[in-house]
Amino acid sequence: MAAELTRKDPERAPAPAGAPAGPRAAAARRAARLRALRPWLLLAPALAVLAVLLFWPLVRVLLLSFQDYGLRQINTGESNYIGLGNYREILGDSFLWRTVLPNTVLFAVVCVLATVVVGTLVALLLQRLGRVWRIICSSVVMMAWAMPAVTGTYVWVWIFDPLNGVVSGGLDGLGAIEPRETNWFTDRWSFYAIAALNVVHHGFPFVAITVYAALLTIPRELPEAALMDGANAWQRFWNVTVPTIRPVFLVVTILSTIWDFKVFAQIYLMPGGAGSNPEVLNLGVWSYIQSFSRNQYGMGSAIAVLLTLLLLGITVAYVRALSNERDHL
Amino acid sequence: MNRTSTAGRLWLGVAVAALLCFTLFPVYWMVSSAFDPGADHRGSAVLPSGFTLDHFRYVFDTGEFGQYLVNSALVGVGTVLLSGALALFAAIAVARFQFRLRTKVLVMILVVQMVPLEALVIPLFLQMRSLELLNSLLGLTIVYLAFSLPFAIWTLRGFVATVPKEVEEAAYLDGCGWWRMFSSVLLPLVAPGLVATSIFAFIVAWNEFVFAFVFMQDDSKYTAAVGLHRFFGQYSTDWGAVMAGSTLITLPVLVFFVLVQRRLAGGLAAGAIR
Repeated sequence: MAAELTRKDPERAPAPAGAPAGPRAAAARRAARLRALRPWLLLAPALAVLAVLLFWPLVRVLLLSFQDYGLRQINTGESNYIGLGNYREILGDSFLWRTVLPNTVLFAVVCVLATVVVGTLVALLLQRLGRVWRIICSSVVMMAWAMPAVTGTYVWVWIFDPLNGVVSGGLDGLGAIEPRETNWFTDRWSFYAIAALNVVHHGFPFVAITVYAALLTIPRELPEAALMDGANAWQRFWNVTVPTIRPVFLVVTILSTIWDFKVFAQIYLMPGGAGSNPEVLNLGVWSYIQSFSRNQYGMGSAIAVLLTLLLLGITVAYVRALSNERDHL
Repeated sequence: MNRTSTAGRLWLGVAVAALLCFTLFPVYWMVSSAFDPGADHRGSAVLPSGFTLDHFRYVFDTGEFGQYLVNSALVGVGTVLLSGALALFAAIAVARFQFRLRTKVLVMILVVQMVPLEALVIPLFLQMRSLELLNSLLGLTIVYLAFSLPFAIWTLRGFVATVPKEVEEAAYLDGCGWWRMFSSVLLPLVAPGLVATSIFAFIVAWNEFVFAFVFMQDDSKYTAAVGLHRFFGQYSTDWGAVMAGSTLITLPVLVFFVLVQRRLAGGLAAGAIR
């Protein structure tokens, strides 16, 4: 690209052989410089915003993670470096390994698997439906997508409310549980099962719509040829559909992974999720509570850095896998 | 696929029914509880026990929810205007010009999109605090601008790239300058893309919780998502009212989503793959 640009420039600046550095040549050179500058002028405001509001805070959170940063430091603006102290404390704590990390990683893995499977099934379903039902179903799927995380969480909490919620009411009616003795939000597993339901309900529409769009790009001849060869539906899906739209699967999987790793509101807004029940903390909420409830901003930053590193690893894998994919195609 | 047997049709019907139930049930439960006079003791009654607007009235009168909705709308509109303008310029730069570092800039924007925003709460809180923008709608707007920008640039890039270069060149031949070409040729042609990204930016701002929760300390500055939370704690879970507030927050998003559903999906897929 760069070579192309430099090759073109001399042609555009017409320098007559007899008159070097004439006023026309200078003007042309200035125009060329302006042309080279123009994309940067257009990019400048956006890049400035990203630098100040995303890049610099990212550097800052790293710096903070090496400090014991509390209320005093906030008010005076001093720094207070303690080296790797925060990391040593976090990584040496069994709370991270037994509770927070499993809550984050296991939850994300389960949610991603469920989201991609449900989304793909819905996409395959959409493909088989007639026009009217397809429009109905895709609009309804959009409604699930549209529900904000905050209100969605409240609705699921209300649905599973131990005293007056629909689920406990129904199970009570069947005589299966005693509502006053059941609270699904105190137990870690049932807490996260409800959170997973919430996250999958909110996340599968993106997968469904994207995979459905990809399914439409598969040439008709492919599955038909497989059908001729006697492949059944299961084989056709795994041997024709999946390889053809592999990049799309990759994208939706990685994006879902990133989203599910950093869920915050969906956990924080559930009963006990805001710190009163330490059993259910994940990395995001733990970082928040360390900083804003306990005023240990350095510790909170160190946790945030760990979360970022985790996601960075996933992003690198994503970019790599995508560029490999491009080499193949 | 036209030779579907009766059993196949039956399965299809069951699948559609399951999908509709799973997808719609929370929406139905939210809306019906919001209008149910006996919402708090509803239990598993599938139909609401009656119809009332009391919960909505209560939310507006006692909970100052009107103010919260206005705050959310202001922040949303501010985010849309700013991010639309900045993203369009940036998108033109990366879609129309060949320059050094172009690919690097694009990859950087993609990677920046992956940064967990939750990790930036602490530094941004400190930054906004020292700029004295903490308790202000402007501060929140600026932060949301940064969040919606990367996605908007990627999406708009696709829209700008689909405008044929010849159209631009024709405008130049007619004697237009760059600015004239931009405003009367390029802008109208990418308007649909601008609408789609605007709606996305609005929804990001409208739904965001963590930053609004941390930044806004004064009741009157709460956005709707945060206002609902306060409301929740203060009145020891008045479910009818919480569901009424939730309905009010969800409705505009629902309308927007249905309006742009096709474009949004296409844009997301295109932005993520290319």
